[in-house]
Amino acid sequence: MSTSKLMLRGVADMVRHPLPQLLTLVTVCMVALLAGTGLLILHNVQAEVLKTQAQARFQVYWSASSNMTEVEGQWADLKRVPGVAEVSTFTPRAAMAELMRGLSAATPAPVAPPADNASMANATASNPNDFSWLEGENILPPTALVSFDIPAGEAPEPWMGRMYARLRGLAGVEKVTYNATQLNLATGWIALIQHAAWPALGFFALVVGLVVGNTLKLMMLARKDEVEILSLVGARPWFIRAPLFANGVVQGFAGGVLSLFCLKFLQSWLKSVLDVPPLFLKVQFLPAWQCLALVLATTCVAGLAAFIAARK
Amino acid sequence: MVHLDHINCILGGAHALTDVSLHVERGEFVFLTGPSGAGKTTLLRVLYGDLKPKNGAATVAGVDLMRLKSSGLPALRRKVAVVFQDFKVLPERTVFENISIALEVRGVPTASIDRRVRAVIRALDLEERSYAPCRELSGGEQQRVAIARSMVVNPELILADEPTGNLDSDLSRHLIELFKQFNTYGTTVIMATHNRDVLSWAPEARQVHIVRGQVTLPTAEVLSGAESVAARRGA
Repeated sequence: MSTSKLMLRGVADMVRHPLPQLLTLVTVCMVALLAGTGLLILHNVQAEVLKTQAQARFQVYWSASSNMTEVEGQWADLKRVPGVAEVSTFTPRAAMAELMRGLSAATPAPVAPPADNASMANATASNPNDFSWLEGENILPPTALVSFDIPAGEAPEPWMGRMYARLRGLAGVEKVTYNATQLNLATGWIALIQHAAWPALGFFALVVGLVVGNTLKLMMLARKDEVEILSLVGARPWFIRAPLFANGVVQGFAGGVLSLFCLKFLQSWLKSVLDVPPLFLKVQFLPAWQCLALVLATTCVAGLAAFIAARK
Repeated sequence: MVHLDHINCILGGAHALTDVSLHVERGEFVFLTGPSGAGKTTLLRVLYGDLKPKNGAATVAGVDLMRLKSSGLPALRRKVAVVFQDFKVLPERTVFENISIALEVRGVPTASIDRRVRAVIRALDLEERSYAPCRELSGGEQQRVAIARSMVVNPELILADEPTGNLDSDLSRHLIELFKQFNTYGTTVIMATHNRDVLSWAPEARQVHIVRGQVTLPTAEVLSGAESVAARRGA
């Protein structure tokens, strides 16, 4: 009998033991759901932390003599760069207005103007917080404050280096600065998340492996007599194992897929509960690769456990 | 067919078989007798490769049991069929499926399986129950299914461990007649029993008595296998 026929028989034989099969399916689904919930929490914590903490800011200075049309084109391009969270741009005029507003707010007492600057002396004489005299001699360059979300999985320092080089390479850019303290903070957060993620993933894999594996082995007890009889009548190991392997694979796959549906339901419910004032927590669903990994893990573990259970 | 020389078996730290020698020729019918716990089942387990002797020499149907690896077990069991007291049939499967399973594992074509299984079902008077699940069968019918499963592959040797233990007298006699019939066609039969009635229904069979893991009666040694067959056929 061919392997595919044996596998099909294994699947067809599942209906002969409906109760153990159903209970196993429920167990596999629940364990995968538990692991999936852990992944969901981890994924959302990671996303939230990265969104708020793992950001890098660059202050980009163009030459004061730059053509503003060209610079504004570059600003538009910058907003389309992947990972850009925010771009605040300042034309020389806007920068000056910002500067004057800042100076006015920070200057409660009259400022004594230099004696050789008549216009300045006139302006401050009428209003000590009036810095409009600065406008006539605006030497401020066009600037942009660009905030990036450091991509997950990227080491912050090399990424910052590449981004620095990219910004520095823009036509007309004279200087690019960034905050080293913020870089260190981002590096710290990313390292923390990565350190927390791997043990958690390992733990979930272990739980799935042990519980699904043992459940499948227990389920195979229901087919113990069949295995014994097949062995007595001279069946080769593969003839005995192939149907059981197929049974395990189907159980693992079905349990994994069912758990994803349950997880989606759970995520929708959490989203409706948490995305309200003052929390505004947007609970995201697992990325596709994690969904796939969850189903694959349960399928492989269940198939392997069923295969091993039929050894004797 | 069976050649055991001074084999010893240890189960759970105790000697289950001690210095057992047994030679059975092709076509013989042998009863293993003795009280419960004497070692009859242990000896049968050795013969179908479920238990490996600690020492001695053992050959069954040309297979050296002392060198038998797990990969060689299916080959041995395709020559040696086993019937148990508790039938060992699959209750959820039909009579037909239970019997055909022995042919399927051997890769016999479907058409041939169908033909052979129907023939055996007819011979064992199970035609009306062919497609009934075995859980719906009586004990006697289930035992006939087990015998049919062992017969359908035309084995060289049939081992039967108290096959009539759960059956009434009439059914037991009927089954012994079946074994005798197959033995007449040349199949070697070794049957463990402690039922004296069963022994009386096949008086021509050789008896090997086992007590506390040792062959005690000299019949096995005095009357060689070949002589036994000749005597039985003469009778």
